[in-house]
Amino acid sequence: MKAWLRFLPSIVNKAIMSDAIKLFDIDFNILRAHITPRGGKMLVEISGPQETECVNYIEERGIQVTPIMKVVKKEAEKCIDCGACVSLCPVRAICVQDDWGIDIDNQICIACGFCINSCPTKAIILIE
Amino acid sequence: MKTVKEINQKIENGEAVVVTAAEMTRIVAEEGTKKAAEEIDVVTTGTFGAMCSSGAFLNFGHSDPPIKMTKTYLNGVEAYSGLAAVDSYLGATQINQNPEIGLDYGGAHVIEELIRGNEVELVAEAYGTDCYPLKNIETSISLEKINQATMVNPRNCYQNYAVAVNSTEETLYTYMGTLLPNFGNVTYSSAGELSPLINDPYFQTIGMGTRIFLCGAQGYIMGEGTQHSTDGERRNGVPTGSAGTLMLKGDMKQMDPDFVRGATMPKYGPTLYVGAGIPIPVLNEDIAARTAISDENITCKIIDYGVSRRSRPVIRETNYAELKTGKIEINGMEIPTSPLSSYKRAKMVAEELKSWIEKGDFFLSEPLINLPNRGHVVNPLEITRPSRLVKDIESKTVIITHPDDQIKDVARKLVDNNINHLPVVDNNGILEGIVTSWDIADAVAKGKTKLAEVMTRKVVIAREDEPVDVIARRIDKNNISGLPIVDKDNKVKGIITAEDISRLIGENVENENGEESL
Ligand code: SF4
Ligand code: SF4
Repeated sequence: MKAWLRFLPSIVNKAIMSDAIKLFDIDFNILRAHITPRGGKMLVEISGPQETECVNYIEERGIQVTPIMKVVKKEAEKCIDCGACVSLCPVRAICVQDDWGIDIDNQICIACGFCINSCPTKAIILIE
Repeated sequence: MKTVKEINQKIENGEAVVVTAAEMTRIVAEEGTKKAAEEIDVVTTGTFGAMCSSGAFLNFGHSDPPIKMTKTYLNGVEAYSGLAAVDSYLGATQINQNPEIGLDYGGAHVIEELIRGNEVELVAEAYGTDCYPLKNIETSISLEKINQATMVNPRNCYQNYAVAVNSTEETLYTYMGTLLPNFGNVTYSSAGELSPLINDPYFQTIGMGTRIFLCGAQGYIMGEGTQHSTDGERRNGVPTGSAGTLMLKGDMKQMDPDFVRGATMPKYGPTLYVGAGIPIPVLNEDIAARTAISDENITCKIIDYGVSRRSRPVIRETNYAELKTGKIEINGMEIPTSPLSSYKRAKMVAEELKSWIEKGDFFLSEPLINLPNRGHVVNPLEITRPSRLVKDIESKTVIITHPDDQIKDVARKLVDNNINHLPVVDNNGILEGIVTSWDIADAVAKGKTKLAEVMTRKVVIAREDEPVDVIARRIDKNNISGLPIVDKDNKVKGIITAEDISRLIGENVENENGEESL
């Protein structure tokens, strides 16, 4: 699952995540992080058989977990299907459909933001 | 053999057979040109791409008291007003007056806004005359309220175009979109087999007065566009590079926002996505054969945009069938491709035009004069003050250092010579890195002793045969104060600083930390 994790300032320094990784033997991938002494948030991918237990554990310790289905959103009215974003995606999450429409696969997206900055019509936004 | 008149009669009777250029390619492949030429009357083409050379003439109407506008701003974007009192020309690439908005909202966005029917703020200034006393206006306009809004695009619909790639180590932001370093991606902009001028490469049916589809309205070709060129290399009749262009006009009041869009090429600037389609009457077998061109038979060239010179090196040839697979091979690497023009909307343009003709809403026109198909070349602009090359810079003896030198010795070298940059070279004089006085100060503060630990290994360099102006841009972009000059073997020949450049081209190049160099 992909999720935004939000930390309060009081727990920024605690090793909650590394404990959780050890305890539940999960794969943990940080896609994006903004961490300051005043707290922070991280976009992560958590996977493994004990995913749910892991989420419960970190929630209990004060990290707010917001699972997301979509990392980025392409606004249909703005997108002109030009395809400029396609070759910029480092993980090939953006592809040209049979009808030449452009589609983003949120399962693959790692929220690098490259397409967001490069779209001529600013059609792609990061969902936070 | 058919005539345009006969075809128009068929359109009138609802009998004309119209196909898109993509459909025509399949039809001819299956049935041959002879049969296709007999059966098909019109082939519709389409493109929907970024066309920077676009804009609009606007006539605002006279106010009371009247004003002779000398400067006009629409939603903060300046339109050229050196015309009669209330006329102006809004160019698509004009950027916003407000530096905070800058490239994000320019002329192209205002054009889209007007076509959408939105209100646009108009600010005008004037010097005041006896007949036009008013000096300032602040009001709002809309497409409905103003007298004329005529799109006039001096150069649209390039016949073919270069394909872009970037060999350098930095990301480039260009009119061909974002180009990733080290051949990271490839971008192309032509619609290939659907593209208007590729389907009539010798302009047998296209010329001044040809009625076309322009942004959802019926528009016209005024003639050849600027930089029209005819004599370049051709393959299967089709130019392998940019070649022919069109000057187009259309009434914005009739346009449809689905077929026009203001956009911004990241860090390059505003541009207008224009949907344009040309109907090609199938008058004979030769024309039928031309419209049957397929993507694999349209050759184009992959050009290295990493070289910012007028003639950029060709990396390899390709064709649109290959580009449209989404990947292409360069130097043994598989590189992803991006179209920059929308093939989906290009198809919509060709389909829409087809349906207009089928419904009898659109008739073909015979050009008053065909576009020229030979004798046109694009001349370069020669700069009377020739651009100076790096090697022309008076060279001082270059002071260098080696990776295993001690920090304190390097510091002494910087101080003794009163310089701020030292190229780090190996025993053969080949560049390995660079170190600045700032790096040394940092190293001392952190207690480091070896130069190898603090030098920058990824060095921005200048080559001897590069123009100084290109280096000025590089210094600016990388926010550095100087860079080593190297020859083709990466041997260090000298150093060029922001200060050298300011002295040479009289331009103030910003440098890092505002420090004085050399
Ligand atoms: S770059 Fe923007 S407009 Fe173009 S296809 Fe991608 S999302 Fe759509
Ligand atoms: S955000 Fe990055 S990973 Fe996600 S679709 Fe855009 S380019 Fe691809």
